[in-house]
Amino acid sequence: MSGVGSGKRIAGGWMLLGGLLVAAVLVSLTVGQIMITPAELLRGLMTGSGPGSLTLRVLRGPSTLTAIGAGAVLGASGTIFQILLRNPLAAPDVMGFMSGAGCAVVAGVAFGLLIPLPILAAIGGLVAAVLVAGLAFHRGSRQSPLTLILVGIGIGFFASAVSSFLVIRMPPQEAADAQRWLTGSLTARNWGHVLQVFGLGALLFVVLALQVRAMALLELGDELAAGLGARVERARYGLICTGVLLAAVGVAVAGPVPFVAMMAGPLGMRIAGVKHPASRLTAAAVAGATITVLAEVISRSAIPGLQLPVGVMTGIMGAPYLLWLLWKEVEAGEV
Amino acid sequence: MTETGLTTTSLTLGYRERVVIRELSIAVPDQRVTSILGPNGCGKSTFLKALARLIAPASGQVRLSGDDIGKIDTRALARRLSILPQSPKAPDGITVSNLVRRGRTPWRGLLAPWSEEDARICRQALEQVGLSELAERPIDELSGGQRQRAWIALVLAQNTPYLLLDEPTTWLDLTHQLEVLSLLQERNRAHGTTVVAVLHDLNLAVRFSDHLILFGAAGLVAQGAPEEVITPDNLQAAFGLKALVMADPLTGRPMVVPH
Repeated sequence: MSGVGSGKRIAGGWMLLGGLLVAAVLVSLTVGQIMITPAELLRGLMTGSGPGSLTLRVLRGPSTLTAIGAGAVLGASGTIFQILLRNPLAAPDVMGFMSGAGCAVVAGVAFGLLIPLPILAAIGGLVAAVLVAGLAFHRGSRQSPLTLILVGIGIGFFASAVSSFLVIRMPPQEAADAQRWLTGSLTARNWGHVLQVFGLGALLFVVLALQVRAMALLELGDELAAGLGARVERARYGLICTGVLLAAVGVAVAGPVPFVAMMAGPLGMRIAGVKHPASRLTAAAVAGATITVLAEVISRSAIPGLQLPVGVMTGIMGAPYLLWLLWKEVEAGEV
Repeated sequence: MTETGLTTTSLTLGYRERVVIRELSIAVPDQRVTSILGPNGCGKSTFLKALARLIAPASGQVRLSGDDIGKIDTRALARRLSILPQSPKAPDGITVSNLVRRGRTPWRGLLAPWSEEDARICRQALEQVGLSELAERPIDELSGGQRQRAWIALVLAQNTPYLLLDEPTTWLDLTHQLEVLSLLQERNRAHGTTVVAVLHDLNLAVRFSDHLILFGAAGLVAQGAPEEVITPDNLQAAFGLKALVMADPLTGRPMVVPH
């Protein structure tokens, strides 16, 4: 009986989660300096002309879709680290991987390197991850999740400082663009960005789907996982790589948007009412997309005539949550 | 070669200054219940972990039906031998059935869907531990004894001929200890599963085991049937314990009464 009940509850949860995303997308496409009605959007979609079509093709469509893609990859990335480290603070934004990715992109631009942004971001993210693991390393003992997270916060500050230094040395116009991007920005996205985030994101989601069973075993602890046939170290490094790369894909199209990766997992899990890693990852991707789309529409319409970078909004949404989590850790005597 | 069973040859565990097991060659009797006993820090847990390849030996081998377990493919080993570590921790909020299903992982192909066979074996495992009714409840809502039985259902769902358990009765009250041990004994009798458990309680170990392996601070003290292992001399050697050994009025097996 309880099985059927919880099954229904979960189905309801998924519908709510999906509904929220659809609602956020509708708001994002209709609301702005010029309001467009859903009817006009539909007409634009059918006929391929008129204000609705212009909104979908040029003005808002690409940004909204990029927001969906970036939010989804960031949400999944955060959940990977939250599950591996069993800590809600563990996410690529908190642990400096996204700042590392952002720093590499800025460095690439500053030095005029002709390397595609996703590759730069991936290198930056992986370097940051290696630095975090290396600095937290102590011979003979496994580092606690909290040590890794704190070292990651440090690496994140360092990467941000390097980015700022590089930005200051740029010509003024470039510097302003770079600064905006470093905050996390979804303005003036085009179909190239959409293709990039969905293409690379889909590829990584396939890889993640193949890793998810091992992840469900790692959740039970290393010894039990090994007893159940997982190659523990290999599985863990594989998942870390996928997590960092997912975050890098997000950074490459939207900049190091803060807190989406950290908030999406717990939010998606609560709303959908799910526990298994596969479901948690899916829910986090949907929740991440919703948060990012909402943050994007609020950031461009909250103050008339002023386009705030989306990262300002996610920062305002995420900071209180981060403080609340930290407060809980202190209460539990973890910090 | 038709060597059978779980055996060790000149097994040494630990490193240089901290060798816990030295040059141990031992055979775990097949299709029996074996308990590993000894004082804290004697290396009994380490020994069990080495049997399950969770720890690599400093030298020597653990062999399963003649194969060096260090050379068996990880998944293939997980189909032959399962281990339940001491006090495992469940992910927040997952249900009993969700936990038990993960026991099927080594039997499933990479893209194979959940099969009727998988479902049947999980149902059976839950039935054997008496948790069918609580299958959809979150683990954290269960009592200590129920929780331990859920973990045992996980390794039963793994459906291996060898089942290793590290202190499966720790933190349980006496009734639940009995419950868990008789469950393991039933599994052994019904399926011929070879059960190896590290246990703390001597009298319970005697009650439920066909074979005992007794360690002391300096390594193996004795092994064999409970009657041969549980003697005042062996207890003195292993634990430094002065005790009487009497016949258990219920079973006739040896019973330890400390001075």
